[in-house]
Amino acid sequence: MNITILNPFLAAAKEVVQAEVQLEVTRGDLALQRSAFTSQDLTVLISLAGDIEGVVLYGLTTQTALALVSRMLDQEFKEMDAMAQSGISELANVITGRSTVNLSEAGFTCDISPPTLVQGQSIEISTVEFQRVVVPLETEVGIITAHLALREAQASADNMPYIPIQVETASPNGA
Amino acid sequence: MNIHIAQSFLKAVHDVLAIETQQKMRRGDISLSREAYSSSEVTVILNMIGDIKGMVFYAMTRQYAIGLASKILGEEMNKLDSLAQSGIAELGNVMTGKASVTLSQMGYDVDITAPTLILGENAMISTLDIPRLVMELHGESGGLVLHLALKEFRPPRPQEQEAVAVNGVSG
Repeated sequence: MNITILNPFLAAAKEVVQAEVQLEVTRGDLALQRSAFTSQDLTVLISLAGDIEGVVLYGLTTQTALALVSRMLDQEFKEMDAMAQSGISELANVITGRSTVNLSEAGFTCDISPPTLVQGQSIEISTVEFQRVVVPLETEVGIITAHLALREAQASADNMPYIPIQVETASPNGA
Repeated sequence: MNIHIAQSFLKAVHDVLAIETQQKMRRGDISLSREAYSSSEVTVILNMIGDIKGMVFYAMTRQYAIGLASKILGEEMNKLDSLAQSGIAELGNVMTGKASVTLSQMGYDVDITAPTLILGENAMISTLDIPRLVMELHGESGGLVLHLALKEFRPPRPQEQEAVAVNGVSG
């Protein structure tokens, strides 16, 4: 994965966390992983398609999620109820959405999927053939571990997710 | 969710499984769920983007996944190693891709994302505000459960066929 993809994400994460929960984000040590990722308490999964394709995973503990949601919605949350689930997914959605805005400024057009929330520890989440860049986003209330399993889409036939439909047009002789 | 969207998926999954496993596939129960999904042993997740947005889950037992991977790869697999995982993820990709071809023929502009594989039971997987249509498909050696959490964001566009007709006339 190219550094031009990483930086728009980092900038977006800093900006959004600052705006939504008024916390500073510092980046921890980067790592590259190929093996399946073992889930933390909560994982928000958002996919990208377009010039950049793949999946972004945000892993965090319930405690961190509750602290973030409480600050975001300005209300004390003690458990991961529907509102808190929706809040934490929205935060991930906004970070990813903001990243695509930054990415489009860097020349990559992409679209994101709605978020999926996975709750449960020690579940293996595999991005299959995608390597993941692991970016710890450290805040005062805990760490959000972002996993970027992304690559630049190649416009080759091998990379098409399905066989393109070919519309046959009649070409009469001598036309 | 439009019934034609569900039918496109059901047909795609049915056709792919019937060909891969050489078994007759029957449709089981259909239900609508707003609760989080408690994961099966193996779940393939793909997202759809474009005129229709949302998630598609293919849930199955580990044993069925290994059986399917053996059929696709043409060799007996005993465990769900990285090769088998890649085979199962690819199968999810093929089924979703096939459904998306039908959807694009219906006039929807859709794109699918790369598959993600979730291994492990009883994780709660939530699609938040998008309800899931849950459909079962069975064959002799087992089956899978298809979850569709899709939202139509734009009605199908009919111009596709018109464009072909115009080409036909002018050519």
